[in-house]
Amino acid sequence: MGWLPWGSSEQEGGVKKTSGGAFESPSRTNRAKCYEARDAFFECLDRNKILDSVNSRAGVAASKAACGPADQEFEKNCAHSWVEYFKKQRVVNYQKEQTIKRIEAQGGEIAPIEAPQLPLRPQ
Amino acid sequence: MPPSCNCLGGALKTLRPSPALRRELDALRITPRRTLASSHRPNTAITSRLVAKSDLSCLLRTRNVGQQDQGLVGSLRKPLLLSRPFSNSTPRSALKTIEQVRARNKGGPFNLTAAILFICTAGGLWAYLTYEKERMARKRIADQTKGVGKPKVGGPFDLVDHNGDRFTSDDLLGKYSLVYFGFSHCPDICPDELDKMALMYDKVTEKCGPVLLPIMITCDPARDNPAVLKEYLQEFHPEIIGLTGEYENIKDVCKVYRVYFSTPPSVKPGQDYLVDHSIYFYLMDPEGDFVEAIGRNFTADQAAKVISDHIKDWEGPLKKKDRWA
Repeated sequence: MGWLPWGSSEQEGGVKKTSGGAFESPSRTNRAKCYEARDAFFECLDRNKILDSVNSRAGVAASKAACGPADQEFEKNCAHSWVEYFKKQRVVNYQKEQTIKRIEAQGGEIAPIEAPQLPLRPQ
Repeated sequence: MPPSCNCLGGALKTLRPSPALRRELDALRITPRRTLASSHRPNTAITSRLVAKSDLSCLLRTRNVGQQDQGLVGSLRKPLLLSRPFSNSTPRSALKTIEQVRARNKGGPFNLTAAILFICTAGGLWAYLTYEKERMARKRIADQTKGVGKPKVGGPFDLVDHNGDRFTSDDLLGKYSLVYFGFSHCPDICPDELDKMALMYDKVTEKCGPVLLPIMITCDPARDNPAVLKEYLQEFHPEIIGLTGEYENIKDVCKVYRVYFSTPPSVKPGQDYLVDHSIYFYLMDPEGDFVEAIGRNFTADQAAKVISDHIKDWEGPLKKKDRWA
């Protein structure tokens, strides 16, 4: 299925990748291509009202069925680790939004983080 | 004489809350004239002490006291004073008649000049104090990591720059440095942050001259060799210095900067993985001490302002010369 650490992305076309599925060179153009493919894939997921395309078996199957070609394009243009990262990030971002909405609906307030908290103790 | 009389009144008034003294003073109230005139009576010791003590405050108090103690010391007043209870600044010799005095003091001590002076002074003080407050806040942040027993961020390191030359922590001395940890195979945050770093660097250099070293230390030394870093950073800003090294050296530098990162220690060539790492910019002063961490919540403009303000506060020497010159 393709999210073992490496091994699934020897596809033709797309950006140049190493045998492990990482970018040969994560240059600005390559990144742009990857972001573009990602946005297209996510748009397709949005149209089909699919949130999760990575965490559950059902999610993976649904996204394959609805947006198979876009998914392949996404894999082709991005490092495999990036694909996984972005798919997970989509779920996390959605959950974050929902949490914020829920807190605001309950009359709470999300305080912006003013000062960064530093881990000041030695590791 | 009149000011002293006022002062006695002032003294009586100030001491009102103390009941024991009040009783004594009530006794004095009957013969204010005599107490002031003769100094050998038993009561006078306390009176004259009070008078002396309240002399200064009385000058400020005359306005309040003037009206209330008329019954008490009225007999000592000259008629002139009765008509000008607010006066304490005009030289008396200049004003001869009551009419003159009235004209002079119409509207009390408040006039246009006083108002302008007051507003200017208040405005000036406010601006100065606000500036000083901000400066002290920055100084406090900057000094937090100076001295003994403070948590230390940053420290000695020995790495290789993107040209393959040795680069140690000593190369940071003399200039401010903005240290960022990242890796070239970073999906989205690091490229955004490095673009921001380029903007910050340009803005700070425009304001303060070439006194800032933008530095990116890789957390992924297995893939990011000097050549990769050079090609990668060129796209963001040609001035950004990329640092890499052996895994152990990177681990050490991450440790002294309190940076968390999670590169696997041994990776196969071509392996695809991400590195999780802390994403702060660390501003270091020309002595190599940590000043402030700048998080993702800062825009390039805000961050550039924070940095320029710290640079302007710096009183020690700053190398304006280019590092490569």
